[in-house]
Amino acid sequence: MKINILFIIFLIFISSLCDVIRELSLKSAINSLNFNVDGIKKVFIFIMKVIALPKAWMAFVFSILSLLIYLFVLSKADLNFAFSLDSMHYVLIAIASHLILKEKFEISRWLGTILIVLGIIAVSMS
Amino acid sequence: MPNKKNVTVKILLLLLLSDILETFIHFCFKKSVLTQADFMVRTLSDAFTFSKAAFSSPFMWAGLMAVAVIFIVWSTILSKIDLSVAIPIASFSYIFVPLTSLIFLHEKISALRWSGIFMILAGVILVFLSSHNKKSGFL
Repeated sequence: MKINILFIIFLIFISSLCDVIRELSLKSAINSLNFNVDGIKKVFIFIMKVIALPKAWMAFVFSILSLLIYLFVLSKADLNFAFSLDSMHYVLIAIASHLILKEKFEISRWLGTILIVLGIIAVSMS
Repeated sequence: MPNKKNVTVKILLLLLLSDILETFIHFCFKKSVLTQADFMVRTLSDAFTFSKAAFSSPFMWAGLMAVAVIFIVWSTILSKIDLSVAIPIASFSYIFVPLTSLIFLHEKISALRWSGIFMILAGVILVFLSSHNKKSGFL
């Protein structure tokens, strides 16, 4: 019995969306700390501060969610297929960083991101 | 306010480390579900059984350990550079995997795959350059 390919694509999309939420909440948690990490000792203090933030836990929950969906997808679909579709989260994260985190973009950053996605698709498909 | 947005050699090395860990995690997770490829998950209790079997694999635990390490590395990276720079630059694992299979496994790389590798490389360089402030020096 075969699982509907559309369902697999939908699952990969949901898992990508979870990845986007994870990266955004982690980055916004770290931005809110405004901590200068230099040296091993500081890294330890920094990580302790990060895991005290609710947003970091939100990131953790969405990682687990994404992982569970991805595990299921991997057991059903070809790794190459999963990889190339999963690459759409690069574009989603770029858009979200610009709109939500207000990161400043130059044209070269958009262009680079799109090139990477095309490259990943070419690598995965061959 | 620590506002050093430039990608330094140190951050590049951290990104490299996170890529290697990421590849390792993918490998471990794939290994942990490979044994039950024929398993059909139809109901919620099937999903539970599936997860239980996956978590009984040592690969799963090695992968999860690597996840903890990558969290520390990745958080450190994100404290220093923009998310929209870190994510694309971290994509060079897509180059490593085919290249390591070329060097160590002597697999052939097709023309399409080579063109993909060069596109990723060009994209990473573009994003890397876009993160650089014109006033400050290179690296």
